[in-house]
Amino acid sequence: MGTLDGKVIIITGGGTGLGRSMAYRLAEEGADIVVAARRIPPLEETAAGVRKLGRKALVVSTDVTDSTQCNNLIAKTLAEMGRIDVLINNAGIVRGERPRPVWELTDQDWHTGIDVNLSGGFYCSRAVTKYFVDNKRGNIIMVASGEGFRGVRNNLMYTVAKAGVVNFTRTMALTLAEHNIRVNCVVPGFVDTFEYQPEEYQKAVAPMRAVRTSTRLFIPVGHQGKPDDIGYLTLFLCSDASDYITAGIFISDGGGLAGGFATTGYAPLVSLKEGLA
Amino acid sequence: MTARAFALKDKIAIVAGDNKFWTRPLVAALAAAGADIAVIAKNSSKLTEAVEAARKAGRKAIAIPTEVTSSPQVKKAVEQVIGEYGRIDILVNAADVPFFQPFVDIKATEWDKVMDYNFNSVMNFCRSTGKQMLVQKKGRIINLISGLAERGIANGTAYCVSMGSVLQLTKALAQEWALQGVTVNAIGTGWFSESGNALDETLARYIPEKRYGKPEEIGSLVVYLASDITDFTTGQFMFVDGGLMAHA
Repeated sequence: MGTLDGKVIIITGGGTGLGRSMAYRLAEEGADIVVAARRIPPLEETAAGVRKLGRKALVVSTDVTDSTQCNNLIAKTLAEMGRIDVLINNAGIVRGERPRPVWELTDQDWHTGIDVNLSGGFYCSRAVTKYFVDNKRGNIIMVASGEGFRGVRNNLMYTVAKAGVVNFTRTMALTLAEHNIRVNCVVPGFVDTFEYQPEEYQKAVAPMRAVRTSTRLFIPVGHQGKPDDIGYLTLFLCSDASDYITAGIFISDGGGLAGGFATTGYAPLVSLKEGLA
Repeated sequence: MTARAFALKDKIAIVAGDNKFWTRPLVAALAAAGADIAVIAKNSSKLTEAVEAARKAGRKAIAIPTEVTSSPQVKKAVEQVIGEYGRIDILVNAADVPFFQPFVDIKATEWDKVMDYNFNSVMNFCRSTGKQMLVQKKGRIINLISGLAERGIANGTAYCVSMGSVLQLTKALAQEWALQGVTVNAIGTGWFSESGNALDETLARYIPEKRYGKPEEIGSLVVYLASDITDFTTGQFMFVDGGLMAHA
């Protein structure tokens, strides 16, 4: 018996990274899982993992920047799984191929950054909302980022979109509360998703990985997060035990935002010699 | 039912300072997740009720009646817990005394009393318990406070300052102990009622979920934050408020 027995949960961006962790952690507690993304092979890998845990899994090829495909994701889930209990809008990309100076950003760069990280969540949420209202119950989980709370050099669309996700959460929650639909947001800090990436990606980033993990220097707890830190957070928010929690913003970032530690690696320290005298 | 990943099997939890209605539901949730319990608070029948709730869940429990505003008394009580159980894994601070008066009318003694109950008692527990957690290189501190730690309200100066103080204590301690395995987080509560009262119209417009929280609804978040899987979550303020803080 699990705390999510019988629930059907959709995870966009469910093929890799945080999405894969969510799929496994939720399936362990009894949920059937629908994973959606553009690339099919990673989705199939996640689905196989879910089935190994004894749960049903459905793969739906979806580009969340296309609202028709988001509508299809919801329709197909209802047709094949019969119900939807939670939608997790996890799809997103941290940055494009390489950062460009502001004056060289194209309209296309801007729209892609905003669409993948913000509009996709809106399209999927819009598509499921009517079903949730008719069902008199629903649960949406958004995924923002610590970068949605601070400015970050050269990462314009991502920080703007993720800040948007935070207030999308609040307004959707307030708007839908009377229909018994909860909307919450999880906020990961620096999470090393290496273990849940496809093999070719792992090969490509392996040489850079030592550099990446050095970001722990300015994470107060001294290490990067694990995908499961976020996987388990969504488990808490998916369960009925969090029924009185909506419009919540749940940060798991090793203490970074609370301490005002900047993404530059600079961390202020005060002298212990200052006295009261 | 507790999700397997959030289990607190054989962990030692202190529930501290409450004289409202949090102790019994907190103890029930922690014990159901597998923790053994020590309740430290002003002497009242609530202590025995809480101990009974833990034992009903099959866990060990002790109650230590204590004047929580007294630093030496808190120190003694915490030492007694360590003597009894050998360690402390979880501290839940739940001190919350409401006090609302116009700022200019508040007597110095009243102000001090509010700060004593709502802030100094929490500080006493963090200090005594934190010492042990630093030795263990592991611990979970969860401060149950009000959303008014972040918002102002007329006639609420003393209360808001006391709650805001706990929030800043939470954030600064989280940084100070981040490398030593001790996480410090706060939970902000909205409007709760034990009796399941219906809301009047004003409150119904104010609380998005249009109902009071039930005290036991605090349990799942406390258990989540107390569990081993939250070692990347520290310095946070999370709300159980039916959506209130999103527009208030």
